[in-house]
Amino acid sequence: MPPDAPVLGFDTSAAHCAAGLFLAGRIAAKRAAPMQKGQAEHLFPMLEELLADQGLSWRDLAAIGVGIGPGNFTGIRIAVSAARGLALSLGVPAIGVSSFDVLARGQGDGPLLLSLPAPRDQLYLQRHEKGAAAGAPEVMGGMLPPELGDLTGHRIIGHDTARLATLTGSALPALERAVTPDTLGLLIAEIAVDRRAQPCPRPAPLYVRPADAAPMRDAAPAILP
Amino acid sequence: MTIVLGLESSCDDTAAAIVRLGDGGAEILSSVVYGQTALHADFGGVVPEIAARAHAEKIDLCVEEALTKAGLGLGAMDAIAVTSGPGLIGGVLSGVMCAKGLGAGAGLPVIGVNHLAGHALTPRLTDGLRFPYLMLLVSGGHCQFLIVEGPDRFRRLGGTIDDAPGEAFDKTAKLLGLPQPGGPAVEGEARLGDPARFAFPRPLLDREGCDMSFSGLKTALLRARDAVVAEKGGLTVQDRRDLCAGFQAAVADVLTEKSRRALARYRGAGAEEPAFAVAGGVAANTALRARLEGLCADTGIRFVAPPLALCTDNAAMIAWAGIEKLRAGAVDPADLVARPRWPLDRAQPALLGSGKKGAKA
Repeated sequence: MPPDAPVLGFDTSAAHCAAGLFLAGRIAAKRAAPMQKGQAEHLFPMLEELLADQGLSWRDLAAIGVGIGPGNFTGIRIAVSAARGLALSLGVPAIGVSSFDVLARGQGDGPLLLSLPAPRDQLYLQRHEKGAAAGAPEVMGGMLPPELGDLTGHRIIGHDTARLATLTGSALPALERAVTPDTLGLLIAEIAVDRRAQPCPRPAPLYVRPADAAPMRDAAPAILP
Repeated sequence: MTIVLGLESSCDDTAAAIVRLGDGGAEILSSVVYGQTALHADFGGVVPEIAARAHAEKIDLCVEEALTKAGLGLGAMDAIAVTSGPGLIGGVLSGVMCAKGLGAGAGLPVIGVNHLAGHALTPRLTDGLRFPYLMLLVSGGHCQFLIVEGPDRFRRLGGTIDDAPGEAFDKTAKLLGLPQPGGPAVEGEARLGDPARFAFPRPLLDREGCDMSFSGLKTALLRARDAVVAEKGGLTVQDRRDLCAGFQAAVADVLTEKSRRALARYRGAGAEEPAFAVAGGVAANTALRARLEGLCADTGIRFVAPPLALCTDNAAMIAWAGIEKLRAGAVDPADLVARPRWPLDRAQPALLGSGKKGAKA
């Protein structure tokens, strides 16, 4: 991979299409548009405009960064499927970047408790340490999920930090911030640049919650000999 | 020569295939299908969110395997065809977005294909049928009679107003403790059963036309099962065989009689080489196939049933439908918008039971 080739980042994990193009010291372009629906139709035209504005084509890219959520299930599948198709046709890596990664960017190597809004006033939480995820993300209703483990000494960053500070008893200053579409594509591209030297699996949506499905109701009758 | 890569992800099969049309005819260079039966087994039916999750992480792997098997790169393709509806929208979206990514990176046009057109045009890929021919699409999600007049012209003669027969087979298997998919399981049991022991209804057989209904048949099967269970505290193996045989006979009776009526209407279409083709998973049922073959033999019309792997969901039919659209100059960018509903015949009124959003398929 040429070190001086740009990386494209994009995200459709919520009510937006967000895209960014990054090449250290040379390109830092971004685009975003709010939309409740229509991401599947708007994404590629937006990406093509972003490339064309820089006089670039698809073949000039070194890697793809894609937002994997958590967020709207359909939305994260739209971006991930597009990134996988692009990676295969361009022969470049596609790198999955979570919204937790975006929150943690530039926040140092210390332990972090990252928080994102989830439906029905819940929170998605994940611990990060030394610039990487430490453990699986969890969904929080009323109480802190015990799976997160010991949260002593963690800085809280993200959504609803006051509530989390009370629950964890953390005395460290919290940072209330949201992942916003405006800079999201560019941040994803920057994070993908940092990670592109590492081997990484194909991007996969970060659902956090299991699929909503009820097991079969009617049991089959006893079969007699 | 035209080579097209096809993608399919509208239900519970993730598929990719490469089809070439040359001077010697059409040839399937590769056809890869990743099923999801095990993922849905605990739920007694296809769960849309589980299906969508699997498609999103499999479709590109499937494409890679299809290319490897064909020994070709994307550069050898003329176009990419993808199912853009009708179907479970989560899966359809994954296929469409992956296809757009492939098309953008490889500089190839992407053609949106109607899943049902894929099934309906398959007899031209496998047997070179000439338009117009009569088609019975009968699967887990669909049941309709179509006169196929051109690559983009379909006339619906009738269809189910509620469930598809494949769904009724699956439900029957579920109610009787047989494994999924229900079609082969019920057929296997039915072979050893007495179709006359239980009297099941033949819904809508007394009505004119080609419309059908199968949901009442499911209920009748449940009642018959419960009556036996109430009497004996369970089902004997023979009870189960007889229930399967009775159910299958009812489905075959309805489909055969409605096919007879569809054929009568089709005879007025003036086909030079008249043919009746079946597609969809239920077309794999040998008892039904024998009945339809007999019907065609009686009426002197050629009967065509593509090989099973091309009757059930696959991507070769999508690639082929893409080739048909290219040849007919019928590629429309608007067709690439993913949609859950997309009736093949937009001129016909929606079937009863389609809901307020109109015809599904």
